[in-house]
Amino acid sequence: MSRKGTVSAVRIWKRFAVDHRRRLLRDQIGGLSRGLRGGGDRDWRWALRDVTLRVEPGEAVGIVGANGSGKSTFLKILTQVMYPYAGRVEVHGRVAALIELRAGIHPDLSGRENVYLYGSLVGMRRAEVVRQFDDIVEFSELSEAIDRQVKFYSSGMQMRLAFSVAAILQPDVLLVDEVLAVGDAAFQQKCLDRMQTLLSQGTTLVFVSHDLAAVEAISSRGMWLQNGAVEVIGPVRDVLGAYRHRIEELASSSGQASGIVRLKETSIKAPDGAEIRTQDPLEVRFVVENPDPRSVRLYLGVSEGPATPIFVVRRDMHLGTGESKVQCTIRSLPLPRGRYYLWAGIFDVKGRELLPWHPAAEFDARGPDLDSPPRGVVRLAPVHVDATWRLGAE
Amino acid sequence: MSKTFEPPLAPPPELRFRRQIRLGASIRDLWQARELVRTLVERDFRAHYKKTVLGFAWAIVPPVTFMIVFSLFFRRVANVNTEGVPYSLFTYVGLLPWTFFSGSVSRGGLSLLANAGLLNKVYFPREIFPIAGMISAGIDTLIALPVLGILFLFTGFAPKPTAVFIPLLLLIQVLFTLGVTLAASAVVVYFRDLRHALPLILQFGIFATPVAYSLDAIPASLRALYGALNPLAPVIDGYRQAVLLGRVPAWDTLIPGAVASCAVMLAAYVLFKHLETGFADVA
Repeated sequence: MSRKGTVSAVRIWKRFAVDHRRRLLRDQIGGLSRGLRGGGDRDWRWALRDVTLRVEPGEAVGIVGANGSGKSTFLKILTQVMYPYAGRVEVHGRVAALIELRAGIHPDLSGRENVYLYGSLVGMRRAEVVRQFDDIVEFSELSEAIDRQVKFYSSGMQMRLAFSVAAILQPDVLLVDEVLAVGDAAFQQKCLDRMQTLLSQGTTLVFVSHDLAAVEAISSRGMWLQNGAVEVIGPVRDVLGAYRHRIEELASSSGQASGIVRLKETSIKAPDGAEIRTQDPLEVRFVVENPDPRSVRLYLGVSEGPATPIFVVRRDMHLGTGESKVQCTIRSLPLPRGRYYLWAGIFDVKGRELLPWHPAAEFDARGPDLDSPPRGVVRLAPVHVDATWRLGAE
Repeated sequence: MSKTFEPPLAPPPELRFRRQIRLGASIRDLWQARELVRTLVERDFRAHYKKTVLGFAWAIVPPVTFMIVFSLFFRRVANVNTEGVPYSLFTYVGLLPWTFFSGSVSRGGLSLLANAGLLNKVYFPREIFPIAGMISAGIDTLIALPVLGILFLFTGFAPKPTAVFIPLLLLIQVLFTLGVTLAASAVVVYFRDLRHALPLILQFGIFATPVAYSLDAIPASLRALYGALNPLAPVIDGYRQAVLLGRVPAWDTLIPGAVASCAVMLAAYVLFKHLETGFADVA
């Protein structure tokens, strides 16, 4: 008998019929006759292929991946809502799942009635709910709305209600699927704090989110699903690093940035030709090709993968006809060790796009690792960068 | 960090998930979910009658309406032999089990579809939805029960001491109703056609069951078969014999009915458990 809070999913396979209409009667009759003739193959699509995940009590695992990569299906199999096609699932202890907003919430009932409904859905005795009712309402900050019908709640309020019940009742395993995003910033932080508390009390957490910063803040391990299979599993920073890298590759392969103005011969290096290091200068050089003379605003940014940059530098300049050389030096690179992407975009003075914001090059920085924030604290990267510019005609 | 290799095209057969039906574990699960059943029934009830003028009184309307319609019209054309029992009482005794059955099948039968939102997101024994549907129908029937008392007072007729057979009849009735409800709820998920056919079948069913007429209308040689095909017939007849006429239920039709009820319940349960694995994929 394993300890409460252990999650073990071994070699899980799950498939769905490609066309749901085939489940209707007339198709069943057709399928039946085909099945009798021996060729009863339907078109199946694998949603999960050979996914294995073991989580110890008190551990937090973040699952990332593109839409349709099987994250939610995997969580549904962990909750035992869905049955796997093959493989073995064992989850010990009381499970609370926050999968999609309205799970367990009935729009015609009041918030109060829904707390009881939701409580019994996650296996709480009525007496327990009664005892903790005030805590739940206090956490959700919905005390004025608690006797209102839930259909008059905003989506954020519905999430608050569901999360509060799930969080206050202290489940052994908490499964959270991308529901926190609808809460406001303050409540999201409150949720993260609460999850942190639950983790320290021994609750196991499996967390699915596209908010990579939140995943990094809360999880110790990560799993990246790609087309239903495990792409990378391991320490959360490594997994997210690999995932961000893939996003970047996709962004640069999907559509060469095309605009009126073009960028050529981008190079990123340290001025002395040595490797790029934290706190050392970084030099970016490129050539801009421009058909007509105009005043432009040039933006450069550095990101860890997605289009949201860690910092941006900007320069207004006048470009003549033909090619212009641009050099930008960042005196002291404020980035820890890792792989980064240089993004660029050029706009005219009215903000019209001359060259879309796109990843132009990638580089590796050497140096110390970033100190990680305490668990449960979302790390963003607001940095101020001094830069000097030099412009000249080709 | 470990990078897994591309998985094979299909899982090895020994990994295949096999459905196991363990009655003991299922019953334990159900018992642990009893709070949820209670909450669901409450929810159904409140949501059902919320914002209606009559409220819970709506539960009385269907059987009473049928009783009035049958008393006014059916009796005139069919000339039913009630063996001296006032017709309104005679038909109401049949209407109570019937409205329980039809309420249970129509509510419980659609309960999985209606709760697809929950079904997809939270785990609990799936049987509780049809069971909660049946319990709501049962409560409706309890609300309609006092009308029977009023009818007794009104007609000056009294229940007979053989009414002690009620628990046995009730057991057969509940087994059959639950079996049909379970089966209907599971099949509806896959064959949505049944959703449209169900009300029709139930409307027709009231005439295939001796609600408005007496079991005597069926030739004696066919009654055992009839009882096995429609266990509600001997049950309703049993109620009339025991409560109204002071006789022991007719065993020659009740026993086939009881056996059929048990068989229906068992088959429905196995069917439900087998179809259950796909509910979340389809609903």
